[in-house]
Amino acid sequence: MRAILVDDEQANLENLQVLLSKNCPEVKVVAVANNIESAYDQVNLHRPDLLFLDIQMGKTTGFDLLNILGEKSFEVIFVTAHDHYGIQAVKFAALDYLLKPVDPDELKIAVSKATERIKSRLNSDQLNFLLNQIKRTEPSIPKIALPQQHEIRYVSVDDIIRCVADNTYTFFFLANGDKILISKPLKEYSDLLKPHGFVRAHQSHLVNPKFVKSWLKEDGGTLLMNNGDKIPVSKPNREMVKEVLGK
Amino acid sequence: MKKIIFILLNLIISVSAANAQKGIDFSYNYAAGGKLLMCVDSLAKNVYYANVFPNQPNTYFSYLPEVNNLGIQIYFRKNINIEHYRYTILADNKPIVVNKSINKAQLKDAQAGDEEVFSSTKLGTFSIKDKIITILVYSIETPLIIDKSVFYGKLIPKAKIKAIGKRFTTEKGVDYSYITDPKEKTNLHLTNKDDELTIVKDRTEIDYIYYTSIKDKQTNKIIFESTAWQYGGHIDDTHQFSPYLKFDKSIFKKSGDYEIIIKPSSFSRYKMLPKEMEKYTTRYTLSITLEEESYTKKEIYSYGLMATFIIGLNFLLIFQAVKKRNKKKLAETTQQKNIAKLQLNSVRSQLNPHFLFNALAGIQNLMNKNEIDNANRYLSKFARLTRNVLDSKELISLTEEKTLLDDYLQMEQLRFGFQYKINAPADLDTENIEIPSMLLQPFVENAVKHGIAEKGADGNIEIDFKKQSADLILSIKDNGKGFDATKDYSGLGLSLSKNRISLLNTIYKETPFVLNIQSDTNGTVVTITLTQWL
Repeated sequence: MRAILVDDEQANLENLQVLLSKNCPEVKVVAVANNIESAYDQVNLHRPDLLFLDIQMGKTTGFDLLNILGEKSFEVIFVTAHDHYGIQAVKFAALDYLLKPVDPDELKIAVSKATERIKSRLNSDQLNFLLNQIKRTEPSIPKIALPQQHEIRYVSVDDIIRCVADNTYTFFFLANGDKILISKPLKEYSDLLKPHGFVRAHQSHLVNPKFVKSWLKEDGGTLLMNNGDKIPVSKPNREMVKEVLGK
Repeated sequence: MKKIIFILLNLIISVSAANAQKGIDFSYNYAAGGKLLMCVDSLAKNVYYANVFPNQPNTYFSYLPEVNNLGIQIYFRKNINIEHYRYTILADNKPIVVNKSINKAQLKDAQAGDEEVFSSTKLGTFSIKDKIITILVYSIETPLIIDKSVFYGKLIPKAKIKAIGKRFTTEKGVDYSYITDPKEKTNLHLTNKDDELTIVKDRTEIDYIYYTSIKDKQTNKIIFESTAWQYGGHIDDTHQFSPYLKFDKSIFKKSGDYEIIIKPSSFSRYKMLPKEMEKYTTRYTLSITLEEESYTKKEIYSYGLMATFIIGLNFLLIFQAVKKRNKKKLAETTQQKNIAKLQLNSVRSQLNPHFLFNALAGIQNLMNKNEIDNANRYLSKFARLTRNVLDSKELISLTEEKTLLDDYLQMEQLRFGFQYKINAPADLDTENIEIPSMLLQPFVENAVKHGIAEKGADGNIEIDFKKQSADLILSIKDNGKGFDATKDYSGLGLSLSKNRISLLNTIYKETPFVLNIQSDTNGTVVTITLTQWL
């Protein structure tokens, strides 16, 4: 698997090269670039399978590189130090990322996932989705990528009624009646969707308040959804849920 | 007395006298009061005989408007001492006969009823047209008991109100004010000081036949009735006492027109037609204005409605005020919570230098020992811990907490070489149960630094996540030398942690966090119970 590493810091490029050679011998680094112009050239020249892409590079971003690259016939693993906005976008697109300093074990997992994706070729859609989400200038309802085994659903946050945890899996209940199982823990989506108004009513339940009909007093607190579903509210969350619903 | 009259009446109707004279029908006797019976013109239809009055005992009043001549007989029972009886006859108040005894020679037996036989004699025959004949009968044994029969051949006059008065309280007591010779409609303003009203009637010889009623013209209900006249306070032009009656102001519940009706009583016995009765009836209207109204149901209803509205309005205002206050209170609570959250954040960032720099030193040590792989591994652990502090997430899942504790303890293992275990039962949904971040970290840090640091490889730390009904119990056990848990250690970790738990309790009021520290020379157990958390 041929890879190009893009990072504006020489130390990071060297670190990652060492880690890859030690932990992921199947990855052959064909080029490194420390700015997006150079990266553009290298990508066009080498047509790599995999791109390790830093998000923040001076005034430019890794997203800028993706924008100018047009057709994307490679997988991307984002690598970032501490970039809340960028990571959020990447997570919404259900793309993979590593945090610096890179953990060798996490690197191994990310590379093996990328190998899987290269086989199924799902990624370019997600990348375009990511770039579209970032381009949005006017505040609109964001979409989220929900990766299933054979397809990725792009769902407007407004169309999610609620999520239910099943151990490390999460069920999504959508407004059109679909029920989707995603192999990520609820916690991950709870962190992603809370900024968009969702409430964690219960350890196993994340709810979109837009679909809540009323607050029932039964069992110390229950949410009645528009479709008649009843969602328990656990005691520690009661006040917070009331607060959010009261708004 | 009345009863006797009726008994007599019944008996006497059947008694007949033989001879007819001057058109008088002697075959038909009417009771005339006391021991008297009378016969009247055969053509007379309406004979209102022997009326009695509640306030005028021994007086019998016969109204004879259609009678020209009148024959009077007196009847005695057989056992009576007839010689004791005297009678006096007056025509228009002038005596014709005075204190005359009964002429025993003229007494005849007269049968009344089936059994009893009376001794009877005529007292005379009188012209009654436009006259008043009065006959007084008494026994000299009881001269104070005088039967007085009045035969009224004149038209009964209508009563006349001479004055309407009201009594009012003054500083000295009471005083009166009068409206004399009132019109048929009289206005009367009644204040709080007025308490009693008086009606003064013109004096006649037959005051006792009149009775008075007062009618509420709005409701057509009689609100006052009196058959009695009083004499004493009021004197007319002829220096005679005028009859008057008194009643309380309180009979007037509200302002409006009231009718004073004065008419002869007892005639109802004869079923006099209302039109006929009206000839004898006096009506006055009193227009009452009350300073203070007493309210009727309808008024109470409408005023009640108004009052309800006003009270309702007040309630609304109070409700709004309470709501506002609650809102304020809620805002205060929210503010309190926000402050607590801010303080928590600051506590979190205060905690981190303790292990951050020690961890860096540990990694430095690995680098110096040329353990590059381990250095890499621990560096990323260090980064994860640091990131967790910097992200200052409010809640993390138990899985995340376990990872962080693993990261931390593995780093510390580099320095101290102790053993540790993190236990969570399989049925605990660690992936989805969340707890406040950095809750256990400081206690674990204490367990390492103050507990097992000295023991090296013998040191042991055991961390348990447990579920007890709805409570989540987190415990950290070390086998260090222990410390006096009752003492307030200045060691930054412990006091900060206690502070942090009290801040958490400000936020999670309904699910209190209970901290328990048990320590002896065999070690320390720190337990944090998150009550009702699950």
